[in-house]
Amino acid sequence: MSTPGTLRGGEPFEPAGVVWSPVSGRLASVRRLVICVPPLLLALVPVVAGLLLSLAWLAALAVLPLLLAGWAWWLVGRQIRAWGYAERAEDLLVRHGVLLRSIVVVPYGRMQYVDVQAGPVDRLFGIARVQLHTASAGTDAWIPGLTAEEAARLRDRLASRGQARLAGL
Amino acid sequence: MNAGAADPSGATAPGVPDALPHEADGGWHRVHPLTPAVRSWQVVVVVLVVVAQDWGQAAARGERGPWPDGGPIPGFGVLPAVGGVGLAVLLVVVMAWLSWRVTRYRVTQDALELHHGVISRRQRRARLDRLQAVDVVQPLVARVVGLAKLSVEVAGGQDSKIELAYLTFDQAQQLRNHLLARAAGVRYDTVHAPEAPEHQMLQVPVDRLIGSLVLSGPTLLLTVTALGLAGATGWLRSPAPVAGTVPLLLGLGSLLWQRFARGFGFTAATSPDGLRLRHGLLEHRTQTVPPGRVQAVRMRQPLLWRRPDWWRVEVNVAGYGRGGDERRETESVLLPVGHREEAMAVVAFVLPDLTVAAPDDARTVVSAAMSGSGTGNGFVTCPRPARWLDPLAWRRNGFRVTEEALIIRRGWLHRQVDFVPHARTQSCGVRQGWLQRRLGVASFHLHSTPGPIVPVVPHLSTADAATLLAEQSERARRARAAAGPELWMEPYADGPAGPVADADQ
Repeated sequence: MSTPGTLRGGEPFEPAGVVWSPVSGRLASVRRLVICVPPLLLALVPVVAGLLLSLAWLAALAVLPLLLAGWAWWLVGRQIRAWGYAERAEDLLVRHGVLLRSIVVVPYGRMQYVDVQAGPVDRLFGIARVQLHTASAGTDAWIPGLTAEEAARLRDRLASRGQARLAGL
Repeated sequence: MNAGAADPSGATAPGVPDALPHEADGGWHRVHPLTPAVRSWQVVVVVLVVVAQDWGQAAARGERGPWPDGGPIPGFGVLPAVGGVGLAVLLVVVMAWLSWRVTRYRVTQDALELHHGVISRRQRRARLDRLQAVDVVQPLVARVVGLAKLSVEVAGGQDSKIELAYLTFDQAQQLRNHLLARAAGVRYDTVHAPEAPEHQMLQVPVDRLIGSLVLSGPTLLLTVTALGLAGATGWLRSPAPVAGTVPLLLGLGSLLWQRFARGFGFTAATSPDGLRLRHGLLEHRTQTVPPGRVQAVRMRQPLLWRRPDWWRVEVNVAGYGRGGDERRETESVLLPVGHREEAMAVVAFVLPDLTVAAPDDARTVVSAAMSGSGTGNGFVTCPRPARWLDPLAWRRNGFRVTEEALIIRRGWLHRQVDFVPHARTQSCGVRQGWLQRRLGVASFHLHSTPGPIVPVVPHLSTADAATLLAEQSERARRARAAAGPELWMEPYADGPAGPVADADQ
């Protein structure tokens, strides 16, 4: 599965022979909820004002926030699709980002601890975020939007693999 | 709360508070009885300075006369004010004394334990095989009375050091030797831990230190500001501009002074238990960095240092430099300023096996890394399109892989070379912004422990970046598997000859 050099050459973000697991689609719902609700509320203001003052052109101003919300909706979808992680024999790969793309390789033996976090909205949708910590502050390996079961499974799996390959600093 | 009462220290401490040969007896010890005086001295001075400043300002404004009619604190007479200040000072002294009473430490076979804290009791236990570095620090006052503070660094989260303050200088030295010997896996039968033999490698003369400060950014800024000021005052015929830049001038002056005080009397010596650094004008510091605890090394040469060919060497050691720039500047410097040869010698000592494959030798490669450019000596540099992103340095920026480390070369005006041993690579990654994507380049990031060195190879071609990412994770894995034992002296149990053998290359 992970013979040395499978990443060799070509595209750093599409290493050959790696099967990426996507993050849960529910993350898109959470983010859309958080990002799109404020512009939608904003869109209500000119509509209501237009109705009250019976000025039709005022209601047309609602188009701007609606466009913004639509763009955010689309952007969230792209961002979520860009997230991916892959468990290999010796390390975990995490990639994300649309404009600024990033891929991180974290060896299991370097893992110091694993965090699982879920905010109130996340819990409502039953998702959690898993973050890997090494002795370096630069390791930005975190996976948002895993279903609670998947997060627990990944956490335990990473912990046990880390245990087996633990090295000093 | 309960630990202080429960532990047996109450019985042992008064008997042998500071007899010398006790490093490893496993019993509880108090720190030196003068500690409260040394500690509260600083606080008392701060209180007095604040009061004096307040009073002085009031007097200068002429709002209130000196003490007889007003008193130093508005609305109070002289006596209550003096009494209040006296009470505050007394409180500080009592707290310091209490803190001394509850502070105790012990060294067991494999751990160092410290109990301290008056209001909230703290206990900390550090495993010696996780020890990263040991410093003996002497602030000015402690130095006058012959005391020293032992600062033991174990890699941890936010604040991972154990400070034993204060011990006598000899005690601190012996404890240091013991801890390093234990951490290295050396066993001994004598009362004191054997002090590892030292071999002085280099020292930084004062004139070079001053020269390096003269040829530095702050001085340049200072000169430019001073010239600008002279011009402005001459033109405006008013001293107003001077007043405006006083904070800047003061800031620059204190920055230069701090750098001078930190680098003063810098010496580096090699010994089997690591690199020994001594430096400091007012606060004297003896650092010992064991081999194999160095996570990354950086050589730096600002533009102005190019003519004398001076270099600065910094290091990432887990736990060093946590808590701000000030500490980082103090602890993470292996060489404040030195010639090329000295810089190379220091790097060769902390990364002893910088093995390079047959056709080249390590010296040429390091030399090429320091001042070379282009693809000679096995360096992989940025592709042509990278010139749009980094028009000056794109020919120089690059990396070279050796058997044991990744060498990263960067910067055209301000040269720098990073060394990261494969065995110390935490994780790695590739990043690519949208413009980089357009140009077909990507930046490679190595993640090292927190410190001054953040190794990045910018703008490699995507193919090179992908190959490096794949191979580097593999190399790091192999190096980790083959890495030496945590107790680094155990292979040399017969005599302390080991790692020092190749120190003088």
